Parts: sequence; structure tokens; C-alpha cells
Amino acid sequence: MPVSASAIYFLNLRGDVLINRLYRDDVGGNMVDAFRMHIMQTKELGTCPVRQIGGCSFFYMRISNVYVVIVVSGNANVACAFKFVVEAVNLFKSYFGGAFDEDAIRNNFVLIYELLDEIMDFGYPQNLSPEILKLYITQEGVRSPFSSKSADRPVPNATLQVTGAVGWRREGLVYKKNEVFLDIVESVNLLMSSKGVVLRCDVTGKVLMKCFLSGMPDLKLGLNDKIGLEKESELKSRPSKSGKTIELDDVTFHQCVNLTRFNSEKTVSFVPPDGEFELMKYRITEGVNLPFRVLPTIKELGRTRVEVNVKVKSVFGAKMFALGVVIKIPVPKQTAKTSFQVTAGRAKYNAAIDCLVWKIRKFPGQTEPTMSAEIELISTIAEKKSWTRPPIQMEFQVPMFTASGLRVRFLKVWEKSGYNTVEWVRYITKAGSYEIRC
Amino acid sequence: MAPLPQSQRPQSTSQPSGKGEVSDLKMQLRQHAGSRAPGTDDSKRELFKKVISYMTVGIDVSSLFSEMVMCSATSDIVLKKMCYLYVGNYAKGNPDLALLTINFLQKDCRDEDPMIRGLALRSLCSLRVANLVEYLVGPLGLGLKDNNSYVRTVAAIGILKLYHISASTCVDADFPSMLKALMLNDPDAQVVANCLTALQEIWSLEAGTSEEASREREALLTKPVIYYFLNRIKEFSEWAQCIVLDLVAKYIPSDSNEIFDIMNLLEDRLQHANGAVVLATSKVFLHLTLSMTDVHQQVYERIKAPLLTLVSSGSQEQSYAVLSHLHLLVMRAPMLFSSDYKHFYCQYNEPSYVKKLKLEMLTAVANESNTYEIVTELCEYAANVDVPIARESIRAVGKIALQQYDVNAIVDRLLLFLEMEKDYVTAETLVLVKDLLRKYPQWSHDCIAVVGNISSKNVQEPKAKAALIWMLGEYSQDMFDAPYILESLIDNWDDEHSAEVRLHLLTAVLKCFFKRPPETQKALGAALAAGLADSHQDVHDRALFYYRLLQYNASVAERVVNPPKQAVSVFADTQSSEIKDRIFDEFNSLSVIYEKPSYMFTDKEHRGPFEFSEELGILSVGVESDDNVSPAQRVEASDNDLLLSTSEKEESRGPSSNGSAYSAPAYDSSAVSVTASQTQLVSTSQNQALPAYTPQASLAIDDLLGLSSPAAPAPTPSPSTLKLNARAVLDPSSFQRKWGQLSVSLSQDCSISPQGTAALTTPQVLLRHMQGHSIHCIASGGQAPIFKFFFYAQKAEELAVFYLVECVINTSSSKAQIKVKSEDQSTSQAFSDMFQSALSRLGMS
Repeated sequence: MPVSASAIYFLNLRGDVLINRLYRDDVGGNMVDAFRMHIMQTKELGTCPVRQIGGCSFFYMRISNVYVVIVVSGNANVACAFKFVVEAVNLFKSYFGGAFDEDAIRNNFVLIYELLDEIMDFGYPQNLSPEILKLYITQEGVRSPFSSKSADRPVPNATLQVTGAVGWRREGLVYKKNEVFLDIVESVNLLMSSKGVVLRCDVTGKVLMKCFLSGMPDLKLGLNDKIGLEKESELKSRPSKSGKTIELDDVTFHQCVNLTRFNSEKTVSFVPPDGEFELMKYRITEGVNLPFRVLPTIKELGRTRVEVNVKVKSVFGAKMFALGVVIKIPVPKQTAKTSFQVTAGRAKYNAAIDCLVWKIRKFPGQTEPTMSAEIELISTIAEKKSWTRPPIQMEFQVPMFTASGLRVRFLKVWEKSGYNTVEWVRYITKAGSYEIRC
Repeated sequence: MAPLPQSQRPQSTSQPSGKGEVSDLKMQLRQHAGSRAPGTDDSKRELFKKVISYMTVGIDVSSLFSEMVMCSATSDIVLKKMCYLYVGNYAKGNPDLALLTINFLQKDCRDEDPMIRGLALRSLCSLRVANLVEYLVGPLGLGLKDNNSYVRTVAAIGILKLYHISASTCVDADFPSMLKALMLNDPDAQVVANCLTALQEIWSLEAGTSEEASREREALLTKPVIYYFLNRIKEFSEWAQCIVLDLVAKYIPSDSNEIFDIMNLLEDRLQHANGAVVLATSKVFLHLTLSMTDVHQQVYERIKAPLLTLVSSGSQEQSYAVLSHLHLLVMRAPMLFSSDYKHFYCQYNEPSYVKKLKLEMLTAVANESNTYEIVTELCEYAANVDVPIARESIRAVGKIALQQYDVNAIVDRLLLFLEMEKDYVTAETLVLVKDLLRKYPQWSHDCIAVVGNISSKNVQEPKAKAALIWMLGEYSQDMFDAPYILESLIDNWDDEHSAEVRLHLLTAVLKCFFKRPPETQKALGAALAAGLADSHQDVHDRALFYYRLLQYNASVAERVVNPPKQAVSVFADTQSSEIKDRIFDEFNSLSVIYEKPSYMFTDKEHRGPFEFSEELGILSVGVESDDNVSPAQRVEASDNDLLLSTSEKEESRGPSSNGSAYSAPAYDSSAVSVTASQTQLVSTSQNQALPAYTPQASLAIDDLLGLSSPAAPAPTPSPSTLKLNARAVLDPSSFQRKWGQLSVSLSQDCSISPQGTAALTTPQVLLRHMQGHSIHCIASGGQAPIFKFFFYAQKAEELAVFYLVECVINTSSSKAQIKVKSEDQSTSQAFSDMFQSALSRLGMS
């Protein structure tokens, strides 16, 4: 049997139940006490998101200042349960206008009950698409989409929309200006050894879209990925143009993408949902362009002094620049005094996280600012314990740059009324977990 | 449709002080109840909202029930929804009041707005009041035939709800077959999916009692049904796809062409954004290809990339769920992942549950080509991350060292650890070096040189200290100051709290004595004296044993204590391959996360409302064992338990099958605990029984002691004259032990009278009834319609003979399943007859 949740609880950080819904009778009402006793009030919190207490299993996730807990009594499908929580939270966010926290819950009891009943019945997930639910569950809630009384604006083919196959888009949308926004957002994960060897590096990317299109448009997206290009040249029976092609390790698509067509023609074609959505996700491990190189030298001089020199080199084009660059350089816990010089940006010592935090708001390409710092330590009486150095961590955003080199070649919109559309494409690369050991 | 800003939803979150507010609300609701004036709906809405928010924060507003019902006569859908919610919450506690709501809910089920029909039907089914089921049948039947798909989706799940309230009503109304028809014909995919979930649940619950249901359940896995679902797979929502894929994973295709067809059809599901769909598809692929080794390997290659993507995206919890599955696959086929080892490197900020899995995977995939990188990475963790993970990673290095051929470099690394001068690193490393030396004695020279430099003062953890002492004893000829270190340790004998360390110390000093007698003699004397005076039984006994052995003959003692050893070639694996296969069968479920097959954590059969029933749970789980049992024994013990519980599950074990095969070791290892529980038995019986009973109890001891030797042949009384001891006493642990040792001597089905089933509302009823027949209950559990009991009875003439009974009663089918175990198999039938006649009289008195 797949997941059948017995209950879902929303708790605040103190462990008070904000709201809950019991879907089945097979767990006792005191389950939440068990959760508080065995997980929240012990060190267990955060050690594992799945725990068994008594005969029940608890899945829990923390989202802002709320714990969402799902209780099941059988051998449930874990991935499905967590995905359900994530989707449900997204749904609430879209109803609450972006925020999901204790206050939002307290202010929306009635709505949450309604949604909880609609998205899950007797422990089985039902429809979680915000697009469709918003048709008939609104905070005003006056109109039912089926209601024959509301003759002023009948929603066509409502049955199909609530439960049907094209669950992500309703018909009859009209926009004065037809626009599509496409963002390619990549996050670079890097693990580099102290000797400058790349131990592990990959890029996880997302293609985010925002569509304001009338009618039922058919979209087609072309990227400079290897398989797509090869397939295309094969179809047109002419050699592929030379130039950089990207090999995607793995791709997943939003449910609107016609996967059969992707597999046969290697093009991404889809009827998009209205508004914002994530079209695809991909992962790349080969040929990643790292936007930054970090060269640290940290010397421990005697027992009370540490010398730190960090050079950060931007390796993207000189005309581009990175924003919000933060470099966190770890220092020992017993740091007493720090002094430093930087050639760009600002730096300060943050005792709470035992780091020197170096911020550069605007970081042009092909430059290499440096920081040199001297740290004095409190001399301890205890025997010398060597300092375990955490890695240097880095945050940044580089607009108009993709670490993978992925580019949009075309984005075609086709609708039977034949209107003109405006397409906007943006690229941005962010730091995922960018760690350099020192 | 845009979400409203929060400011438009003013709602006081202040806690009302007490009853004042509730009665205030009552007043206001009354005022509005009859009114049809315009604008009342709005004020009613505010009032309802207040009621709901009181309800949510835990204030009892059930006293408003009748007012709420009165107010529900409205066409406003929001009011209706709130009213349904309120009714659903309090109906269970107030069944009489719930009756009030039936009327308006039934009316709403016939409303012209399908939305209201659906909501009313859902609320009606969610009342969960048993005496209202008759009102459900009609609306549900109509709901299934409704022309709106929303109502049909609600009705399909509604039938499942009805089944859980009253299974017989649901089956009698022929709902399962209606669901089946709907499932195979409905144009709406969500209706089909809900029918499928409902049917799967109903039929698997019914399958135990009704043959037809189990046939129907099988029929779901036939080719036409599976193909019907597969052809529509793209219509289903992502959640429904998971359910369908789970069903397909159980299907057994007839030939390999079919397998390839299904896989081709489903391949694009691996690109789905929902991780649960990807995992479900992986499960289908893995299970379909189990018999085709090559293809199975290709499946691993195919699903690897999507799974790795899922791990690196989404929340920590989601990636943990996927990583656990990846972990399972890596453990099954490490060589297929050996080139992906970099994906298992830990990030600094990852939670420790993720790091732990990754460390295990890194250990598993290590082979000749990547060992160097992996070990380098692991060494990084030993210095760089939190302490528990650092320990794990050192252990991981050790494990790799033990499974590799080229140990040279690794030994150097381990020895470097010892120079890091961190207590926990040193401690873990010492334990590892000891294991390493047991497998590769040839490395002793290098290791000993480094180990000799460690000051025993820096080693505090018992395990590490024991390892160090073992090495001091084993290699005392190579370590110059071994006798002196041991001597100083013996001087501090009283400060050493761990008995394990003291035991090792005794053995080590004796070994040392045989190699370097003159230097050790004094220390040995001191150690033996201290050991003899030790309060710990084992330490005392070992000291005494060594002393007498030395007294008898020193060379014999040497042969006993320090025989030439063979290198250990393989260290025992902790999990049997059978368990691993079972977990693999349950891919994409909690089993993978817990790393246990599901019966180990979901079986509630042995759980009951009584406190000791928890101990019975161990009977089937068998993980807990006494602390003094060595690991090897523990593994053996848990394997036995597994054997026991699996054979119990399959119910295939005949009365005389290989029961002895696993009960034999249990006798040996539990010899001590047998005596312990016997004394416990005496004490409990003395406490509970009258003084006059004491002689009987001592008789029982004599017989119990004779348990391990073949029991004296007793005169077998004729079955009809079987008499039971009315005051039989058996404590849970003895019951458990006996249950484990004995084989089933009888397994029978019988039926119970209708009066009996009617009377059996809670387990306690039967419990008291059987006590009147001298049959005592030790644990019970379950909920209507299925109850499970464990009974025991004692033969009056022969107090050594106990009858143990497992009895499963299904009240909906009026059937009972009885399993009898006894030391005296010849009278089992007589006892069973007696038991059944007692059972049949239930409800007659």
C-alpha cells in the first residue's frame, strides 16, 4: 500500500499544535505528545527526519518556524510523504501570499482545514495543484465553479479541470500583452582540497518560467545541449554547427512537458501552466566553469598567532560582474583580536560563527582581490589541541553567466489565434555549497 | 482568484478566558439561526470562524452542536464547509447529536451543485459513527453513479471509509464490485485512482477471511488490468501514478518481451519532476528485471543518474529519502557505483544522518582503483567534522582496510591518526588497529612501534583501552616496556570501572607472563590478587580460573591462554542476506529507511494494551538481547528470531519440523537466564499465590530445571480427563521463551457463535471468560474485527506442562484460528477441544 497518512500536524517551535487533521482512526490522539516527548524535547531533533515511536512512524520537516509532522501507521512510501509536505507547503504559500509561518497558520484556520480536506482524503493525496484548487477554494469562497447559479462567468469544462488530465491549465485565459519570462538558475557545488584540487563539482540547474499567455499555447524550447543538437542535425541531415554543446547528466521535467516527444525528438515541448512554475531541472558534472578560484594560505605561528592570506580570483568575462559575494574564512574559537586588510569590499570578524566575513558587493570579472589578516588567540593553559579547520565557504550570484555554459537557442510560442509574444530570457549562477578546504 | 492580503482576514487569536465566550457565541448563533435577512450570512460567517478557531486552539465548543446544526440551513457554501468541519470534529464524541446532522447532510448530497454534493458526501462518510452506517449506503451508491467526477472521487474514498466503520455493511451492499466496475470504465483518472486505492485496501484486509477477496486481489495483477492502467498512466496525477506504479511493480510479466514493453512505456517516468514517481518507476524496473542479470545491471545504470539528481535537489528530508534508496542499491551492487564515489563526498553543512549514509556508501564502493581517493577523503573527515562522524569515518577507513588487498597505504594513514593526539581519534584507531592485526598479523611490526608510544593515560574509553591492553599482551615480546605498562595499569586496578578492561588486563598480563616471566611475575601476582577480590563475578571467576590453571600446570595454562592463533579471514556480517532481500522487495517504503523488513516495525500482532505485551513484541523482532551476550551470539540469536518469525509468518512449519535446529543454541546461551527467570518465577508465584501454593511452585522449579534434559516419560492421561490448574502462573519472559522453543503442535480453525462475536467488543471480555475455564491470557491486542490473544494454561497433574495458545479471532466472519504449543504434544488435542468448547460458550452465560 502506498502512503496513507493517518494524521498531519502543524506544530510551532515550542511543540504546541497549531492545527491538525486526523485522516484515519488508526493512530491515537496522543501521537503528538509522543512526538514532543521523544523528538522535540530530546537531542533527537534534527538527527533523522523519520522516526518510529510506538507502532507509528513520524516524518517531520521544519519550514520557517513550523514543524510539519505526518504520522503513518504502516509501511509508507517515504519519498511520497515528503514530497506531499513540500507540495502542500507550496500550496499554502501561494494562498497566503508567499509566507508560511506560525502567524499565517493562525490567521487561516478555516482555509487550511478546507485545503487539508481537499488535498488529502483518508490519507491518500488528491489534487495539490494551486491552479485548480484556486478555482473553487478561495478565501471568499462564494462561487462554486459548477454552480449553475453563477451564470455571469461560467467556467468551461470544469470537470476536467478539477480532476482531469490537463490539470495544470484552465481554458479561456486572456492577456492583453502576451509575455514569457524564462530564467535559467544554476547553483554550483564545489568541494576543493587545500591543495587546489577539485574533489567534487557539479551544477544543478533549474529553468523557471513565468507565463502570461492567452489561450492554450504550445511552447517549444531549444537548448544547446548535446543530445538535442545531435538529434536536430540528424533530423535536418546536416552536420551540427561547431560550438559548445553541453552534456546534461540528467533532466527532469514539469508534468506539462510531453515526455514522449522529448524522448523521440529531444525537444522540450509543452502547454505551460499559467503564472510561475519550474519547467525543468538538470544536473551537470562535466565541463563546469567555476566562476571563482580561492587560494588560501593559513599559517599558525606559534600558539597564539594565525596568519591568513586569501586570494579570490574571478574567472568569468571581464565585462560581467558578480553580486553579493561573501567569503567566510574560519578562524579558531579562541580568537581574541583580528586585524586585516582587503583590496576590495569590506571584512569583519563574526564571533558567533567563528569566521572572518569578507563581503564584496560588486565583483568584476578577471580581477583578484586579496585579504591578509592576522589573528591573535587567547593563550590557553590546556594542552595544545590542534585546530580543526572548517572549509572556507563562499556565496555569490553571477548574472548572465551559466557555470554549465547552457544557453537557450530558441523559445517558440504557437497558439491558434496567432498572437505575438514577447520573450525574456535571463541567466544567473549562484553558489550552492561552495567549499574550499584550507 | 488572487490570494487576499492577510489584513483582510481579521481574526482574533487571543485565547478566550473561559465559558463566557462560548455561551456568548451560543446566544448569537441562536439569534441568527432562524433569520433570513440579507447580511446574516456574513455575520454567521464571522461567528462560525470564531467557533472553528476556538475548536482549533483546543477549547471545547461541542455544546454549540445543536445551534450550529440549526444555522446550517443555508445556501452559502463557505458556511456549509465550516459547518461540515465542525460536525466532523465533534460527531464522534456525540453520536446522538450526530444523528441531527444526518438529515441535512443527506439533503445536501442531493443538491444541484456537485461541489456541495461532494462535500456533503465526504462529511457524511467522515462522521465515523458506527450506528449511522445505514444512512451512508444510499448516498454512497448515488455518489458512485453521479455524473460529476468530483462526487465520484469522493464516493470512491467514501466507500473505503465505510469499510473501516463497518466492513460487513460495505461488502453486503456490493460496493467492492461497483468500485471495480468504475475503476475499469470511468473516464476520469482521479476516480480510477481512488477506486484502485480503495479496492487494494479493502481486498487485502478481506483476503484473510474471504477467498473471493483474495481472488479479486490477485485479479488486479492480471495482464488486462495492468495494461489498462499502463495505457492511461499519463492521465493520472503524480500521486496516482505512484499508486499505479506500485501495483505494476507486483506484476509478473509472462515473457521478456512484455518486460521490455513495460519498461519502454515507463522510461519517461524517470524524468518526472516528482521524486516519488521516479522512485516508484525505479522499483518497477528493478523488480521486473530481477531474473535477467544483465538487464538488471543496465537498470542500475539507467536509474543512477535520476536518483543522483534527486539527491542533490530538494529539501534535506527529500534527499535523505532518496539517498537511503541509493544506499540500498549501492550496498547490493557496489561495483556498479565505484566510479560515482565522488557523489558520496560529504558537504560540511550536511546533517549527520546524510553523512552517515554517505560514509557507508563510500566504504562499500571502495575498490583498487579508487581506494586512495576515498581514504584521503575519509581522513579529511576524521579531522574536520563533528565527533560522531569523525569516529564513523575512522571506522570506515578500518573497514576498507579489512576488505582491501593493498593495505599498505591505509595502515600508514591509520598510524597517522594516532599521531593526531585527539582522544576520540586515538580511541577509534586503537580498536581498528587491533582488528587489523587480527586479520593481518604481518603488520604487527609497524603498528606496534607506533602503538608503543601511546601513553595509556590518554586512552580512557573502555573499548580502546581493552584494545590497547590486548595488543600489550599479544605483542609483549616486541614491546619493550609492556610488562611495566601493564604493571602500572594493575596498580590502578580499583580506578578501572569497566569490567571488560579488567578482564582483558588479566588475560594480557598472563600472556605477557608466558613470554617474559621474570619481568611480569610481580604484576601477575598483583593482578590475580586484585581479580580474586573483585566484586564483578566474571572478573573474579576468570582470576580464579587462571590461578587454578597455573597451579595445576603452567604449560597447560599457556596452551589455554596463549595458543597459536590463526588470522581471522572474514569478520561476521551483521545482517543476513535474507533480510536484505526482503528490504529490497519493499523498495520505496519505510523499510529502506529503517533498514529492516516491514514486519519488524509494523506488525502489531504482538502488541497489545497490556504493558508486558511490549516484551512479546521482541519475540518477533528479536533485536534486544542481554548485554553480556557477545556480538556473535547476538547475531546468532537475532537470526534465530528471524527464522522463528518468518516461519511463523508463513505458517508452513509442521508440528515436528526442524524446531530443534534453532532451539538448541538457545538452550546453551540462555542457560544463565533460565535460572534467573526461574527464580523470578518463584518469587512471582509466591507473591501472587496463596502460601499453600508454595510447594507446588517448588515442584515446578524441579521440573523446569529438567527442561534441558529429556523430560521423564509421564503417564499420558486420556484426553477426556484433562484438568487444568486454575491458578497457573507464567511470567511473560518465560512465556516468550517457551513460545520460541516449542513448535506448533496443533493448528486449527473453528467458528464462534454469533452471541460470542456480539459479546466480543473488547479483548477484555474474552479474557475474563477464559479465566473461568482456567485458561489465562498473557497478552491481547487488535481492534474490531480482528483480535489476537496469547493464552496459557497449566496441566493440573503435571505442573511442568504448559499449553500456550495463539488465538486470532475475526468477529466479522465469526472465525477463530488457534495455534497450540505444548511440552506435552500428546494432550494438545484434548486441550484444544477444551479450549474450543470454552470459546464456543462465550456470550452464552
